Amino acid sequence: MSPWRAPVRYLALLTRQLRTSALLTAQYRADFLIDGVISVFWAATAVVPLFVVYGRGRDTGIPGWTFGESLLVTGWFVLLQGVLDGAINPGLQAVVDHIRKGTLDFVLLKPADAQFLVSTARFQLWRVVSLVNAGVVIGFAFHEIGHGPSLLGVAEAAALLAVATLMLYSLWILIVSAAFLVVKVDNLTYLFSSIFDAARWPGGVFRGGLRLVFTFVVPLIVMTTYPAEALLGRLAPTSLAWSLLGAAAFAGFARTVWLGSISRYTSAGG
Amino acid sequence: MTAAIHVKGLKKSYRVHKRPPGIAAALRSVFHRTYSEVAAVDGIEFDIEAGARVGFLGPNGAGKTTTLKMLAGLLHPSAGELSVDGHLPQRREAEYLKKIMLVMGQKQQLIWDLPPEETFELNRAIYEVPRDVYERRMKELADLLELGDLVQRPTRQLSLGERMKCELAAALVHGPKVLFLDEPTIGLDVSMQVVIRDFVKRYNERTGATLILTSHYMDDVAALCPRVIVIDKGKLSYDGALDELVKKVRPEKRLTLRFSKPVAREDLEPFGAVVKHDAAQATLQLKQDSVNDVVGRALKTLPVMDLTVMDPPLEEVMSELFSRSRASQKPAASEEGEW
Amino acid sequence: MRGWRAIPTMLRVGLAEAVAYRAEMIVWVLATTMPLIMLVVWTAIAEVAPVQGLQGTWSSKRFVAYFLSVFIVRQLISAWAAWQINYEVRQGVLSMRLLRPIHPVISYLVENVAYMPSRLFITVPIAVVLVLSGGAEHLSHRPLIWVAWLVSLLGGWLVAFFANCAIGALSLFIDSSVKVMDVWLAGFFVFSGYLFPVDLFPPWLRVISEWLPFRSQIGLPVELMTGAHDDGELWGLLARQWGWAAFFMALTFFLWDRGIRRFQAFGG
Repeated sequence: MSPWRAPVRYLALLTRQLRTSALLTAQYRADFLIDGVISVFWAATAVVPLFVVYGRGRDTGIPGWTFGESLLVTGWFVLLQGVLDGAINPGLQAVVDHIRKGTLDFVLLKPADAQFLVSTARFQLWRVVSLVNAGVVIGFAFHEIGHGPSLLGVAEAAALLAVATLMLYSLWILIVSAAFLVVKVDNLTYLFSSIFDAARWPGGVFRGGLRLVFTFVVPLIVMTTYPAEALLGRLAPTSLAWSLLGAAAFAGFARTVWLGSISRYTSAGG
Repeated sequence: MTAAIHVKGLKKSYRVHKRPPGIAAALRSVFHRTYSEVAAVDGIEFDIEAGARVGFLGPNGAGKTTTLKMLAGLLHPSAGELSVDGHLPQRREAEYLKKIMLVMGQKQQLIWDLPPEETFELNRAIYEVPRDVYERRMKELADLLELGDLVQRPTRQLSLGERMKCELAAALVHGPKVLFLDEPTIGLDVSMQVVIRDFVKRYNERTGATLILTSHYMDDVAALCPRVIVIDKGKLSYDGALDELVKKVRPEKRLTLRFSKPVAREDLEPFGAVVKHDAAQATLQLKQDSVNDVVGRALKTLPVMDLTVMDPPLEEVMSELFSRSRASQKPAASEEGEW
Repeated sequence: MRGWRAIPTMLRVGLAEAVAYRAEMIVWVLATTMPLIMLVVWTAIAEVAPVQGLQGTWSSKRFVAYFLSVFIVRQLISAWAAWQINYEVRQGVLSMRLLRPIHPVISYLVENVAYMPSRLFITVPIAVVLVLSGGAEHLSHRPLIWVAWLVSLLGGWLVAFFANCAIGALSLFIDSSVKVMDVWLAGFFVFSGYLFPVDLFPPWLRVISEWLPFRSQIGLPVELMTGAHDDGELWGLLARQWGWAAFFMALTFFLWDRGIRRFQAFGG
């Protein structure tokens, strides 16, 4: 059997899943509009705390970060929140619903990788509006900073976007694996969002143990602060390299935990 | 010829957390829990050849669904041998999963907001069914199930019966060789039950797929399954033909007589146990071998207009069987453990 | 009130339910870590230089006391009825609740109250931490304030709960009111003192928040705890809070009354 068969097959499956999501999007056009409006609102509220921190000509601020630079981190946060709400939370909710209704068995019966199936089942494609919001915030941030990013910075930031997405995805898989254990699973998406909220702040606010946690355990600093530093031209190359490695390792770890959860599910009787 | 399904010494136990009522116990359980072992399946064995239709019967909680899930690879057995078409189900090999399907009544795999057609296409992609095979098969299924344009309406707009038909079509997109049906007709009206039953039978006849069915509706089992396996409290209590089972459990027949003029109850009693009695007709329960004798005597002495001889309703036979086995069997094994 | 005899039992069962799901409890607690994150953020900022507010300066210690108080108050006054109602309407199980001889809002209320004791598992240790970490100097020392605090705690919870119920009731009219709840939450985060003390609000933010109910929900109890107000302002602020509570209570019962009639008309 050709080694290309599996990737080609999964690509075809992904296309089909995306098509299904697109059809569902078309079904609920009103949601598109409402979610768009609400997302602008949320983006605004993400920015307000910074106005308070740097407000009224105070000479306070986050150590090591100016107003414009902090805005950059916030803008990146809004971007990733769009990814979270558009690609990750819906899938999480879908798995939670499956477990609740007892239809997860159908997923396990299919001759395709269960993790792939649940990950690609639900995309809310209208969340692309968040990308626009993020663009506005980031644009405003650079306006405050006074100059744009370098080409290298943009390339590094793009790589870190991929890293961040992979990390969010792995975090999601870990939480879904926990969903097999937690009986009442309603709060999981809320939990995810709550912890992720800390990512809007530049890494400078986290010191000591917490900094280690947010860099290595729940890598929020890597997801938002690093890309901002890249765009500002002050990201150490070693940090970028370690991020890439870390994301890959994290993904591998998440996969292991997922497989363990499935095997526990099938032994414990679902 | 080797059996399609081979099961020996199959066991499945669960650890269950015991939660006693009351506030004090509830608070205590936050820190310290007691568990007990429950044996859902306790040593079952049978062999089924390819193309057979077998029914699993048993009261609720008997272990039928658990056994079915183990055969489908959804659950790991605690002990025993298990093989379906030469595969070990719990390995969940892609090749194995393409050969089987589990249909669960009341649970659906159809995508709720989209037409069933989308689910069919998705399954086609997942099971890698070639386009021409898929087109042919779906046309056949649409004809057999009389789907018409149902497949193009969003699933949420279909009635329960229509959904079940589409559910069956979605389940058969990949033409499974082994089909597990767990209470497929539950909640459906009688006419829909008949439709499902006929379809399943024809599918088996046409494709030679092996079929295992669990159902509470005796009519399903009677119509579809020449062979039944009775599972009670995790153990196998009968394996054979349904009529033999009926004869064994209730070796009696029911004689229904219609009269041209009313007959008093006392006049009927010498013939046999009176089950039903009104002005126009009466039903007697008789031993199998005495039927001819009683019929002869009744025709001679009673104003009989019409008579029928029937088996007692299957439901009664089953509840008789289960209450008997409950009386004779020991309670299921339980060990208390503290963790 | 019909069915009030059932309330003690409902409370008991609700508490048993609350502690039955240990993992769920942990998840819930972890989900409200935002005040703790803000604690970290603001203490980092204050380490550089104390922050100037309307009423004095904020040192790190003061921020610690503030945000631990926020955490405690949040745990005690939490309400989630909006999501619960949306879920029940969606799944069609609201009918079961309507069959009970007790007003559905009362039954949600009792369930909410039943969960409160289980919150003590967390709030008591945190309160101990608050006092031991030297935060006691930033808490009010006047008994009257603490009495007022209890009143404002109840008032805050009433605002939270009835706002939840009112928003939940909207799901009887429109497809899903979860998004409305999201908007409420956004407002709650920004305007209430949850993410940063009201004392530090820029003037335009302060003006807006005067007109919104969010400060009444959590801001007031926290401000009282941390001695931000003297007796004079006390009564005015409490009156405003209970005004909001009464408003949402009335709104809730109004919406539910209409909503149930609509539910019955359309078969739910």
